[in-house]
Amino acid sequence: MSSLTKIPAGVQYFFDDEVKLRRYVERRAMEVFAGWSYDEIILPMFDYHDLFARGMGEEKAERTYRFVDRDGALLALRPELTSLVARTVATRFIRRERPVRLCYSGEVFRYDEPTERAAREFHQLGVEQIGEPGIVADIEVLLVAAEVLAALGLNGFRIALSHVDFFNGVADFLKLESRGRARLREMIDRRNSIAVEEFLQTHAELVEESRRADFSRLIQIAGKQDVIRRAREILINERSLAAVDHLDRIYSTLESLGLGENFDVDLGDAGGLEYYTGLTFKVYAPGCGAEIGGGGRYDNLIANFGEPEPAVGFSIALDGLVGAISMNDDKLRWRGDGEVQTISFDGDAARAFEQARRIREHGKKVKIGAK
Amino acid sequence: MLTIALSKGRMQDDALALFARAGAAVAESELNSRRLVISTTDGRYNFVLVKPGDVPTYVEYGVADAGVCGRDVLMESRADVHEPLDLKFGRCKIAVAGKREVLGEDYNLLATVRVGTKYPRIATDYFHAKGVPIEVIALSGSVELAPLLGLSDRIVDLVETGQTLKENGLEVIDVITESTARLIVNRASFHLKRVEVSDLITSLSRAVGSAQESEAP
Repeated sequence: MSSLTKIPAGVQYFFDDEVKLRRYVERRAMEVFAGWSYDEIILPMFDYHDLFARGMGEEKAERTYRFVDRDGALLALRPELTSLVARTVATRFIRRERPVRLCYSGEVFRYDEPTERAAREFHQLGVEQIGEPGIVADIEVLLVAAEVLAALGLNGFRIALSHVDFFNGVADFLKLESRGRARLREMIDRRNSIAVEEFLQTHAELVEESRRADFSRLIQIAGKQDVIRRAREILINERSLAAVDHLDRIYSTLESLGLGENFDVDLGDAGGLEYYTGLTFKVYAPGCGAEIGGGGRYDNLIANFGEPEPAVGFSIALDGLVGAISMNDDKLRWRGDGEVQTISFDGDAARAFEQARRIREHGKKVKIGAK
Repeated sequence: MLTIALSKGRMQDDALALFARAGAAVAESELNSRRLVISTTDGRYNFVLVKPGDVPTYVEYGVADAGVCGRDVLMESRADVHEPLDLKFGRCKIAVAGKREVLGEDYNLLATVRVGTKYPRIATDYFHAKGVPIEVIALSGSVELAPLLGLSDRIVDLVETGQTLKENGLEVIDVITESTARLIVNRASFHLKRVEVSDLITSLSRAVGSAQESEAP
């Protein structure tokens, strides 16, 4: 097989307009992050495998590209950036004032699902805010994410809000062991309300039938205040109710800021339970068939690297943003080519380059043309 | 407007009938045409007619916002989609079948069972859950032939009445799962077209309910 024509699965080359668009998107996003006082951190391409295993869990760290250092230590190409940020803050930012606000832009590498189409190399843009436990930090990162999407002209975006304690409260209430939890979680995640209702028939016999039916419909459809209202009527465990209160406070604030249209409350999202500890959210952009980003609160992560500290953040896939823009935005703002002055070369190199340098001194774009 | 992928063939008529009961009918002239994209008269839905096995793919990638396909197809595809409704038609079973002489569930655990099937993933998951090593022989039709000609020991296939099996001297050994038609929804459309999708789920849910009632004796 010729390595001249074949390229490894999941890697990409970018050129022409695609490069311009990618750089434009990255620049705009980083401007928004900086505008909310997030300082950029540049992180290493690889680090010890153990670091990622601590950060994201053994299972996910299995999906990294691994190799050995010259001293035999196991290294991995970075599969995500949050663990690197968390370790840095826990070890080297100990004396800094809290909260610490950091943002990043960079490629990550991992085998995702074993499908042919899955990319193995992704470019992520994201922020992390460490040290602030309250709802204010939750709302701040949501607003930062929303501003990135709006700044890129993706006004039809949706951010779906959820909270891990909605599911955890229900699972605790039903006294489910780990297998039952996993089953219920999968059914809820797929909005399979029939299966949820059947599951509750056997695991929650003491709860009235109408309440079980209402619960299975609650996870079936996302919504706004209506979902919050119905959830309050249906739920009977404190932990889930507290999660709904938290979402209500967040959503009400967003609504009062005129962003109600862009946010949904989605109690059927039961993803990331191992990692997140509070608010979770997923970002969708018109024209993209899957989420392009997500985030939430992960108050247990930093403790893996030092003292426990609250943290909240998100990341968005550059590829997702680029895909959405190329489908929705025809203004081509990102091209920003500027005018090119062409100098025709007539044999007198000194004169041609003298002219060219003068154009460059004025900050203009120049091109040496053949005769 | 939502784009909805429907399985061509067996399920197509039942699916369109259900949509019609939910108040979204397709004009007769469109139904009789051979077009692969047809719309409801109220302009709410665009149907694309695709091969059954492709429905989850169209929906997972978001080319269609939603789709109707059998649970068998959905399980086999492992598509990452929502499946909010059981539409209760197209009922059948996914079963393990084999020849009379080699019936029984007490597989020799040391021997690899050869399984002919159109559902390699469902078959693998089923036998692996029982700790039985298998060799999957992927077939695309006339699966019943495989045990007769000695290509496989067992088959995993859809069974509606069991008549085909019987005529070929085969019997159901175990039912893996029941399958019915499901409504599936793309994860992004679920949010980006929330109002339309909610409306789709509630109106189909109602139509399924009324169909159940009218069928009841």
